[in-house]
Amino acid sequence: MDPIAPDFDTRVKLAIYRHFADTARRPEVSEIARAVESSPADVSAAYGRLFKSRVLVLEPDGTSIRMAPPFSGVPTQHRVVAGDREYFANCAWDALGILAALHAPGVVHSRCGQSDEAVAFDVPADGPLPTEWVFHCAVPAAQWWNDIVFT
Amino acid sequence: MPMRPVVRMDQLWGLSVAWYATRLQAAARRPGPDEMREIFAGLGLHGSFWDPQADEFS
Repeated sequence: MDPIAPDFDTRVKLAIYRHFADTARRPEVSEIARAVESSPADVSAAYGRLFKSRVLVLEPDGTSIRMAPPFSGVPTQHRVVAGDREYFANCAWDALGILAALHAPGVVHSRCGQSDEAVAFDVPADGPLPTEWVFHCAVPAAQWWNDIVFT
Repeated sequence: MPMRPVVRMDQLWGLSVAWYATRLQAAARRPGPDEMREIFAGLGLHGSFWDPQADEFS
């Protein structure tokens, strides 16, 4: 095992998350390579290790980020507006997770999984106000990573 | 078939903070199975549904 891999992987992970936080969009490998002053090949290899350790979920091409939880690399029905940016989340949990990660207030836009009704919540920085809405978790914790995109 | 639970919004916020509040920091990591059980129990989420190693869901 490469003894420097953990440090490099952590730098890559942080660069990915910083890119999501700053731009609300997934980064290209080349952007992360510039951020960590390394080669795209080395960054791609780090992506693979981060995928294996369940930090990232990658598209089939192996280099496009589908998920860097709580951020989604692709548009979803779970949108989070914080400041002047609009983020996509992987689920309702992750929508709140984006605000928790940013330590910022925002507005969560989503849809009711039962009625398909559009919903929007103002979320202060210390969490949502009391509401009748609930989160339905369909997949038990032991199976979350069997198909994390479905979960 | 075990009943699928619902989670109140305050509980969901607690999960979000537990999982993601340090996500932009170098030391951030996903909670392990024992930590997950502790987080769920602390938020009132009990039962095998929330056990990341529950055999009945494996």
